[in-house]
Order: sequence, then structure tokens, then C-alpha cells
Amino acid sequence: MIRLIAQKEMTEMLRDGRFRWAAAIVLLLLLAALLMGGQHYRDIKRQHDLAQAETREQWLKQPAKNPHSAAHYGIYAFKPKMLAAMLDRGVDPYVGQSVWLEAHKQNDFKYRPAQDSTAVQRFGELTAATVLQLLIPLLIILLSFAAFVGEREQGTLRQLLSMGIRQSDLVWGKALGITGALGLLLIPATVIGVIALILTSENGLPAATLSRMAWMTLGYLLYFGIFIGLTLAVSATARSSQTALVILLGFWIVNGLIAPRAIADIARRVHATPSAFSFQQTIDREMQSGPDGHDSADKRNSALRERVLKQYGVDRIESLPVNFAGLSLQESEEHGNTVYDRHYGALWERFEQQNRLKQLSGIIAPMLAIQSLSMGLAGTDFFHHRDFANAAENYRRLLIRKMNDDLTYQAVNRDFSYQAPPSLWQTVEEFRYDAPTTRTALAQQRLSLGLLSLWCLASLTTAIVLAHRLKID
Amino acid sequence: MLHEWRSLLADRTLWFITPLFALLIGYGVYNGMSWVRFQQTTLATVRAEEQSRLAKANATLRALEQPGAVGRAESAFTNPRLASVAGSRSGTRYAILPPAPLASLSIGQSDLYPYYFRVSTQSRQTFLTNDEIENPTNLLAGRFDLAFVIIYLYPLLILALSYNILSAEREQGTLQMIMAQPVSLRHFVTGKIALRALVILSLAVIFSLAGFLLGGVGDGSGLASGAVWVRLLLWIGVVAGYGAFWFTLAMAINAFGKSSATNALALAGIWLIVVLLIPSLLSVVATSLYPVPSRVEMVQATRRASAEATARGSQLLSKYLEDHPELTAGGQADPNDFALRTLAIQSETERLVEPVVAHFDQQTLGQQALVDRFRFLSPAIVTQAALNDLAGTGIARYRHFLGLVDEYHRTWRNHFTPLIVQRAQLRAGDYDHFPTFLFREESLGSIGRRVLTSLPGLLLPALLIGWFGLRSLRRYSLAG
Repeated sequence: MIRLIAQKEMTEMLRDGRFRWAAAIVLLLLLAALLMGGQHYRDIKRQHDLAQAETREQWLKQPAKNPHSAAHYGIYAFKPKMLAAMLDRGVDPYVGQSVWLEAHKQNDFKYRPAQDSTAVQRFGELTAATVLQLLIPLLIILLSFAAFVGEREQGTLRQLLSMGIRQSDLVWGKALGITGALGLLLIPATVIGVIALILTSENGLPAATLSRMAWMTLGYLLYFGIFIGLTLAVSATARSSQTALVILLGFWIVNGLIAPRAIADIARRVHATPSAFSFQQTIDREMQSGPDGHDSADKRNSALRERVLKQYGVDRIESLPVNFAGLSLQESEEHGNTVYDRHYGALWERFEQQNRLKQLSGIIAPMLAIQSLSMGLAGTDFFHHRDFANAAENYRRLLIRKMNDDLTYQAVNRDFSYQAPPSLWQTVEEFRYDAPTTRTALAQQRLSLGLLSLWCLASLTTAIVLAHRLKID
Repeated sequence: MLHEWRSLLADRTLWFITPLFALLIGYGVYNGMSWVRFQQTTLATVRAEEQSRLAKANATLRALEQPGAVGRAESAFTNPRLASVAGSRSGTRYAILPPAPLASLSIGQSDLYPYYFRVSTQSRQTFLTNDEIENPTNLLAGRFDLAFVIIYLYPLLILALSYNILSAEREQGTLQMIMAQPVSLRHFVTGKIALRALVILSLAVIFSLAGFLLGGVGDGSGLASGAVWVRLLLWIGVVAGYGAFWFTLAMAINAFGKSSATNALALAGIWLIVVLLIPSLLSVVATSLYPVPSRVEMVQATRRASAEATARGSQLLSKYLEDHPELTAGGQADPNDFALRTLAIQSETERLVEPVVAHFDQQTLGQQALVDRFRFLSPAIVTQAALNDLAGTGIARYRHFLGLVDEYHRTWRNHFTPLIVQRAQLRAGDYDHFPTFLFREESLGSIGRRVLTSLPGLLLPALLIGWFGLRSLRRYSLAG
């Protein structure tokens, strides 16, 4: 019976011109989004690969110079993109794409791409994620707002029920019918998506991308399930199809437009962040209180001096078997590291708190849950950005330590005129970055996934319960 | 008309929409105001830092000038007597972009653009990337400000009030009764629409004005000047024009004589296309026609240029001094002077990077020009651009600011370069006479011109659709 109803629903929808048009437009947009996403991914990847190779070469090609000048010269790190990023650009336009790794300072990521775009970008970007998060739910609503209420208005509901069809069969049949019609749209779209991914990637589909995509698909299916259940539930209770439509459109607007912004504002208020200026001022103040690497005679270095003299059992800096300037540079670096760890750590924790609040608000609007999940799996959320920033910062510390150590142990009894041979640059390994595994990314999204499942379950149950109480007229 | 007023008052939708609208507007204005307040607090800290730094430098200089004073031996990087130190560190001033009077009404792009720069003798790249801290996830979501309410939600409220303006009357059978009265269908419809437009628009204006006045304007001095009122008036004009577009659209759709549900569907579809699809498509087209060369390439070009210039340091310096004989003013410059060398290297680096920067600017300008031209495709884009312009949170005022900053940067360098070359020793009080940055507000004329060219982009479609709607009303069948 269920199959029969489903078949009838599907055939009806496929014959409906409205559905055909809407589906064609959505499919077209999805295709365009994938195409753009792929192109964008390839451009960025090429640029970042080139730049990364070039910055490494610049580092290696430095002439003989003082290791500390080399540390000041530093190196750049460019954020790589994951393949899945072509499906959802996430926060990428709003975070800097490169960071300068130099002595003494943990720099910010500079150049947010959105700053170079026009204001229309703020209307939202055309990505596969936008289509899936906003347009497909709308399509579901259009397809099925009249599912029950329409039959009632036409008087066919009475006929149906008088034939002894069970109401739960009716719900499942309708739901399956909608799913089938959607499937006709989504299955080709997924196939096209996978093909687009393969064509974009240079080495087929890596397993990591595949598992990320699989979880993403699950997330989106749950998200669509929510809308199918909700639409059927509303359709079963609404007085007229017009009321059903207005209620559902209202939900769509609150979910997709109002909630993300409103919650972002609330999160900003609950977990406020400092201004960049006072953030920097606090860091500067704390750096001042630490040892000064550039001026080894500075009185703030006296503790270090005492300690080192004692350690080597000598009474003058000049008799040390190591270069004190190198030690004091490293000492000030260590102090800086704790300061940066504390402040950037606190700031980023704030961001994470804001983001967690947003995830949690998925309980009000599933959009917030799916957004977080989708970005997280595409590797374009703040968590991934932070992970890369941490990796770059660790590399910076390693590089600076190597330079300071060389100064300490190779430039004994020499001043800053010491020059390290170019072979020193080779001893610094190239910067390699491994993106978090699917498991790690998913662990961040447990709440989102849980809320999506909960919503899906709740809305389908409600649909069944309400359909049981279906009034015939 | 009176009857219609009564029936509108009896309409539950109106009583639901009015408080909702007030709430949304109030929250939007409140959000905008907290952002402006945040910026103002930050700017106050920025100014305080400048004051205390300059005072400290002056005090140090005064102490050094005391007869017989034994100053601590300052390095070439910290000695405030050196012009090179004053021009790049101790004496620098901030170039500040204060929030415009209506800034709280539209946050626009102001959450992405820096609003103060610490201008120094160094290259502009060193101080231009001065981003405010913000969770990128919040930037992605966008702000819930008044402009958001106007662009996205205000049309929806309008449509909610008028999507079934005729169809409902017909479905209830009241339309035939009304048409039995001596009133034409056209008059009836125009009356209904005009009444609703009046209500919604006055709500929009009253609520925004109230929120705006209650929260105080910009830096407080704003209200007194007439320019603010002109801006407010234009603001109201844009909101009215945008509203007119949606009202006439609702009428035209009703004139087709379909059922209320169909009307709702059609209007929702058009809303989706106007507010979401056209803007995102336009954005895609703009970025693909004028791809901005990535900043990554610019970073690398700068690094290459600076490495090249540094390698040729001393050679550059002698050439630089040859090119600028006026700087040495007859005296001899020391070719080993570090500050001087830095100056020459910087100027060469900037010369080398120039074409890359120029290409970059050209592409972003191209994108902007394209968006400006095709904004008329969607009234939502027209409205967004106009509101940002009026609030001073769009690209135009920011570019205007950048222009002033460039000018100031040049003045600053011209002030310090001869001093550095001549190794002048600064004296107490000199710090008070460095060039200062003065922000000149964009002229009202240029804002007005941009907004006034936008208004037809709203009114023309409204008139066209209105005319079309009234024409189709002739064939309207009362029975349905």
C-alpha cells in the first residue's frame, strides 16, 4: 500500500510543472555552484602551492648571515585547502590566507578575501552548501505543503480513508513519494558532485575526502528528513493549504535567515571578544615585563645571567662556553610563547565558545547545526583554521629555536657580526601540514549530528502522530 | 476608504506584524548602535595611546635637554631624538575613520574594513592590514542590523500583508459585494495598497527614527547639522522606494486572479530570486570576470621586491641621494647610515611592487564597477548599496578614507625624509608639530548623487509593475 501511495505521489509531482521548473533551477544552480567551487579550489591550490614552494626557496637561498637576521626574515605559511572545501567555502573568505612566521612575534593571518570583494558577497555565496541548506528545503516545502490539507480541500482525503487505508501508511507513502522525487534530483546531483570532486582533484578521491563526504551526505539527509517530516506534520494539521504554506515559509525564513544572524549576535554578546587594539596592548605590556632578547645588558636579563653563569661555573659572560646573546634571545622567545599561548588561546577559546553556542542553538534552528557540520566536514570551519594556525606557530617556534641555538653554540665569544653558513637554512625542515582526520573533525560536530538526528526523529514522529488524528473535514 | 481602514484594523495579520516589526527594527538598531559604540570606545583607547606616547617622548626629550643631563644611551631604534625613530615609532599618529552619523543604521562592510591606521614612514603595506578581531563564523553569518531588517524582512512583512489582497476577498465572496458599490476595482485595489503602504512605511520610519534618536547619534554632534537630516531623508526615500516595489509587485500578482496559495508561492519565489539568487549570481559573475589576483601573489611579489632592493642596498642609496639632491641640502649624507639605507630600500621596494598593486586595484575597481552597473537587476542590491552609502559603511567612504590616508602618508614622509637624511636631532616640542591627520567627511553631494541614481532603480520597476498590474486588473474576473 505504502508503495502504491508513494508511486502515485511521485508521478503526480513529476507531472507537476512547478516541480519540474523548481527542480531544474535548483539542479542548475547546484551545477554552477560545483563548477565555481571546483574552479576556485584549483586556483587557490595552485597559488598556495607555488607560493609555499617559493617561500621555501627564498628561505634556502639566503646568503650567509646572522641566524637572528634569518629569523627576522622568516618564512610565510599559506593555508592549504581541502578538496571538500569546494562544496562549502565556510569561513574561508573571512579569515586571512597567509601568515608571516618571524622572530619574536606570533603574527595574525592577513588578507581576508572578503575584504577584496564587493558588498554583494554579504548576501551569501553560491556554493553547493547554500543550495543544499536553503533551496532544497524550500523545494521540499513547495512539493508537499498540500500533501494532506490539499487532499482534504479537494475532498479526496475522505475517499482515501473510506477505502480503509491506514493513516500511518499514508504518511509513509507520502514521505517516500517526496523522498523519491527528491532522489531523482539529488542522486544525479551527488553523482555530479563526486565527478566534480574527482575532476578537481589531481589524485582521484582520497579516502579522507570520501569519508568526509559520506558523513556530510548523512548530515544533509537528516536535514532534509526534518523538512519532510515537518511539512507533512503541518500539512496534516493546518486548516487550509494556504495556512500550511505560510507557516512553513515562516519556519524556513526563521531557520535560514533570522536564526543564524540573531544567534551570532547573541553569541557575540555572551562571549565578548576584545578589540584588536586592546588585545595587542595587553600582549605588548606583558612582553615588556619579560626579558629583552635584543639587549642582553638589559636588567630584565639579570636572572638569566645569574642562572647561566652558575650553570657553567664561571663569573663573567665573556668566559661562557656559549653565546649569551643566543640564550637571551631564546629566553625572550620562550617568554613570548607563553604570552601568546595565553592570549591567543583565550581569544580562540572565546571563538570556540561562540561557535559551540551556535551549534547548541541548532535545537531552535536546524540550519545552525547543519551549517556547522557541513563546514566542519568541508574543513572550512574555525576549528580547522585554528588547527592550521597552531601548526604554523609550532613551526615558527621550531625555526626560531634552531636559529637561536646556532647563535648560542656556534657564535661563542662573537657578537652579532657572526655569520652562519647557508647550510644552516637546510637544517630547518620544510613546513608540512596534515589536516585533521575525519574522526577529529567529526568529534567537533557530535552535538550538531545529535541535534540533527533528534530533529529528524521528532519531526517524522510528529508527522505520524498528527496524521493519525487527521480530520477528514 | 474608511471601511477599508476599519477592516485593516480588524485584520489579525496587522496586529501580529506591527509589534513584530517594531521588535525587529528595535533589535536591529540596537545591534548597530552597540557596534558603533564598540568602535568609538576602541578609537578612544587609540587616541589615548597616541597622547601618552607623544607626551612620553616629549618628556624624554625635555629631560635630555636639561643642562648636564646624562641620558641613558639609547639605541638607534629607540632614541626619540632621531627623526627616523620619531617617524616610524615614537612620533607616529593615527589616521582615524570615525563612524558616520548614520553608521548605526547599517553595519555594511564596516565589520571587515579597518577603521584606524598607524601611519609611519614605513611602506603602506606595513600598516594597512589592521583588521579588527572578529570570529570569522560571525562575519560569515552577517549582522542583524537595521539594513538586514529592511532588505530581507521588510519585503516579507509587506508580502504577508498584501499577498491575498484581492484573492482573499474573492475566496470569501466579498469582492462581488464590494464591486456592487459605486467604486471601481482599480480604486479599490489602489486604496487597499496605499493604506497598507502608509501603515508599514510609517511604522518603518517611526520605529527607526525612535531607535535612532533614543540611542544617540554618532559622536553626538551629528544631529545639529543639516547634512544628517538630508541623509535621513534620503534613507526614508530609499526605504519607501524599496517598499513601493514590493507593494506593487503584490498587487500585480493579485491581478492575475489566481488563488491566495498560488500568489503566496509566486511572491515567495520572486522574493527568493531578488534577495538571494540574483545577488549571489552577480557576486559569482563579478569575481569570475574580474578575478582579483590573489593576495598570496602580492605577498610574494612584495617579498621578492624587498629582497632585491635589500641586496642592492648601498648602491640604491647613492642613487637615491643623487636623485634627491634637495634632501641633503648641500651637506653630505653618510652612506652607512642604517635609517637612510632603509629609506632607500623602502622606496625602491615600493617602486617594484607598484605594478602588482596597481593591477590589484584595477581588478577590485572593475568588480565594483560591474556590481554598480548591474545592481539594478535586483532592488535588494540597489537598496543595500544605497543604505551602506548613507550610513557611510560601504566601499565608497572607505576608499575615500584610504585616499586621505595615502595623502597623509605622503605628507608624513615628506616631513621626515629630509630630517632623516640630514640626521636632524629633534627637540622637545617638535613632537607637537608633526603633520596630523584630519578626516574630511565625504561630500554630501557625492553621496546624494549615488543615492539619487539608485532611487530610479527602485521607483522605475515599481511604476512599471504598478502600471502593468493596473492594466491586468481590467481583465480581472470577479467570480474566479
